[in-house]
Amino acid sequence: MESKKLVLWIWTGMLGLGIPVVLVAQAGTPPDFSGVYYPLSPFGRAGGRAGGPPPAPRQGPPPRPTVSAPLSDGSQGRSPNAPSLTPEYMAKWQMISKSRISGSYEYDYTAKCLPPGMPAMMNMAYGMEVMQNKDKITFFSELNDALRRVYLDGRKPTQKILDDPTYAGYSTGHWEGDTLAVDTVALNTNSFIEGFSPHSDAMTVHERIRFNAQGLLEDHITVNDPKALTKPWETVKTYRKAVTGKTDELREFACPEGLADAK
Amino acid sequence: MNARTAGLAVVLGAVSLLYTTPAWSHHSNVGFEVTKVITVTGVVRGFRWSNPHTWVYLTVDDGKGGKVEWSCEGRAPGILLRAGWTPKSLVPGEKVTIDMSPSKDGTLVSLIARITKADGTILPNAPPSENQ
Repeated sequence: MESKKLVLWIWTGMLGLGIPVVLVAQAGTPPDFSGVYYPLSPFGRAGGRAGGPPPAPRQGPPPRPTVSAPLSDGSQGRSPNAPSLTPEYMAKWQMISKSRISGSYEYDYTAKCLPPGMPAMMNMAYGMEVMQNKDKITFFSELNDALRRVYLDGRKPTQKILDDPTYAGYSTGHWEGDTLAVDTVALNTNSFIEGFSPHSDAMTVHERIRFNAQGLLEDHITVNDPKALTKPWETVKTYRKAVTGKTDELREFACPEGLADAK
Repeated sequence: MNARTAGLAVVLGAVSLLYTTPAWSHHSNVGFEVTKVITVTGVVRGFRWSNPHTWVYLTVDDGKGGKVEWSCEGRAPGILLRAGWTPKSLVPGEKVTIDMSPSKDGTLVSLIARITKADGTILPNAPPSENQ
């Protein structure tokens, strides 16, 4: 639900000029983000997943796939939109890339069933469920059954929290009109900013989440990391709501099932 | 289903459960040559509907009078459900053609791009649109 805008007309009667002054105030309840969503571009580019069928209807048999998955080992180099890493962290990226190109998954943390962590988890490549009440909003990722909570009741991270970094970190938020502003701290370093760009223990994440003009849920993410980044990194994730009764139920992921089978 | 076919189904189901995934079962995309796709036709020996990856074990003629077995990794059940698969999409004994990317290490392990059943039905590895 969109909050209602109250427009107050105040006449500057003191001088008797009759000039209207418009004051816009936000009132009413904040929007409800609850629901299941899927990302518009789960792998960060338009046109859907490489290797998948094209979204538009087609004539005749579908073409034979030319790839099975996005190339993600680093052999294609870094995107111009990738985070701008300091020399120290670029060296780490190159070391990880070399490992991945060799076929090793030593640095593929999600492949070991670890949570993707913030902010990478907001890619939500396999779908996202949002649960919201007045005091808390919870984001769930089908990929690796990962979860994060954003506290809206005014609490702040304590030193005890800051001393105990986690994958999702500790998130607090507040409403600014129809936009949810979120700050995340206390992040561990066993995750990536995006792709496999590493980050330091000083990373913080700021988000502004809202329904955009097209009615899509949008998360404008700004990552700060004075040790790993030469400048803040910004990205926008956009999600479309699931079709009720068709795609609005995420499935259990239970990643450790595969680890339990491994010999 | 009569008692005999029901019994056969139980046996086939039990056999399919015997096949465990390879040791590096959660291999992730970095283990495969994802931009190279080969097409292999064979007979399904087992189909494992498991997280974080599904697996198809495919028996293939090696062209020399013998057989080889490919272990083919598929995406997670959640995404495949939305792509039109079910746990019953593949049955041991059926003939299928798999477009797949081979493992970087040269072993007979692959990443599935799509599967084409004998009747022409295609099981893709993604929903028609990732927008679901």
